[in-house]
Amino acid sequence: MVRTLMRVTMLSVFLFVVGGLGSVDVLQAKPNNKRPPQVLPSGFESSDSLLRDVNRAERGPLHSAWIVESSRFVNVPFGSFQPDKAGLNTTVDLPVNIGIIEDPQGNLTLFDSGWKQLAYIFDWNTSCCWKGIRDQLTAIGLDPEKVVRIVLGHGHWDHAGQLSEFPNADVYIQKEELKQIDFFLNYPVDFNSGHIRAVNTVDPITGAQVGPPQQACARTPVCGYPPQTVQEILGKVLGGKAIIVDGRHEINRGLVIHPAFRGHTYGSQLLQVNTPRGQLVFGSDTYSSWTGIRDWLVANIQQTDTVQQFLAYEKCYVLASRQNSFNNCVSAHEPISYTADYPLTSNWWTIPDGNCSRAAELILGPGKTTHVPSPPPRTPPASCVSTVPPHDIKP
Amino acid sequence: MWLSRDRLRVTRSTLLLAVVAIIVVSVMTFAVSRAVTTTPPPAIGTTARPAPRPTRPALTPAEETYVRAMWPIHGDVERSLMRASLGQIFYKTDDITRDELKARMEQALVTYRDAETRMRALQPPESLRRDHEQYLAAVRLFRESAVEANKMFTDGREDHLLAAYPKSQEGSDKIREVGGKFWPNEFPPN
Repeated sequence: MVRTLMRVTMLSVFLFVVGGLGSVDVLQAKPNNKRPPQVLPSGFESSDSLLRDVNRAERGPLHSAWIVESSRFVNVPFGSFQPDKAGLNTTVDLPVNIGIIEDPQGNLTLFDSGWKQLAYIFDWNTSCCWKGIRDQLTAIGLDPEKVVRIVLGHGHWDHAGQLSEFPNADVYIQKEELKQIDFFLNYPVDFNSGHIRAVNTVDPITGAQVGPPQQACARTPVCGYPPQTVQEILGKVLGGKAIIVDGRHEINRGLVIHPAFRGHTYGSQLLQVNTPRGQLVFGSDTYSSWTGIRDWLVANIQQTDTVQQFLAYEKCYVLASRQNSFNNCVSAHEPISYTADYPLTSNWWTIPDGNCSRAAELILGPGKTTHVPSPPPRTPPASCVSTVPPHDIKP
Repeated sequence: MWLSRDRLRVTRSTLLLAVVAIIVVSVMTFAVSRAVTTTPPPAIGTTARPAPRPTRPALTPAEETYVRAMWPIHGDVERSLMRASLGQIFYKTDDITRDELKARMEQALVTYRDAETRMRALQPPESLRRDHEQYLAAVRLFRESAVEANKMFTDGREDHLLAAYPKSQEGSDKIREVGGKFWPNEFPPN
């Protein structure tokens, strides 16, 4: 027995020593610059480079930040949003959050721009609470004319609408996002006799999915990008108001775009913002659910590689590692937004004349005064009835 | 301390049992702690009340025939429009050549002309005639926009793209509006 124990011990020591001498760096998570094998080369940023961005941002200006609800999907089956919650058999309401960032000079950056297809929002889907972003900004006490740029977390129509409301603003979008749409427009159908297609995926009369059973259109390659949205992006490009980004891009000191390729769509991106509460990281639909980031669960899987979504979560953990950790990750559709359960959004209010939409003040820059009314009007969602704004097309 | 062989067997079994018990307890502890720390499901009943949702009236047989016939035309128009739009973007970013853009634009022009022809062959029911005209007007805008853009391939002036843009934007607004009425499930929330 003793001999056996000695042999095992010696073998363990031997393996430990040999292992230490050998190359095991690909297994190390951090800190190094090695790319783990599952990471896309085009979107890879090492922990070290992310921390360098933190160092650099911390020497930059401190921003203020808000989120505002462009509209709200109501009664969405929880499982269709977060597969791990499917067993709960309950529904959730999903806000469509837009990020608003103000620099010390008062210039505004929007992260996503919401949407505006009113017939769709009100007549054919169970949505509520839409209000135009310019009106919302004004109601919050911000000047829409101060919007100098819009960073699109991704190009889906509920996040990239209303671009034409800001003709002077520069739009930032990843080239990878546009290449994705283009690729899938040419998606070959020869090999499957059209069973899986990029467009025309529903029966024109019943609306039933044509293709794999139970496959919603959202899971098909280019669903979510109506020509109208792409046209608006084209307008920005032709007008010299688009910055087509390829990976990481520093807009200004303390305002950095990070790629999150395949985190939701092929060209999804994050926005790191330097604030008095550390680095906020806006994630659009890559960060659809804040509890998903906190509890390490996927959410809102579209053209997503779930591993890449987790790696994008990890970017927030690294960028926010010095202050507040995952509490600084800003989600686009978190059901518990505008509650104390999502602490970052707990300072919220119902926007006056905002059609039940809500806003939250995330953090204020030095010397800035709050935009939250006192006391904050907080209409319980259950008692707030949204109205349908006038729109052209009726059922 | 020396143990007999039988006693040793018992000890090994006991050890094995202990290890299994530790693993089970660890897994259960982890599961319980995770269940406690994860978010409880949002309470049902906190839903904002959306405006009453109108239901789409059932289509008459004539309407259904028309909408069904429009569907493949719509798909061709959308696809060509997006390929043309993205082509212009990629040309501006030096990702495709002028010849590649020209091929896309010419293909789009063919599609728009073909769509107009196919639409004129349709007999829309009276109830959808206005929508039919709207859609046809949109396709006409796309065609005119493509003709304008294609001038750059003869005189080399890229400002034709900018001049062509307003018509394609107006047309895309129109087909989204009409498309939303004809095919409300075409684009789901994302």
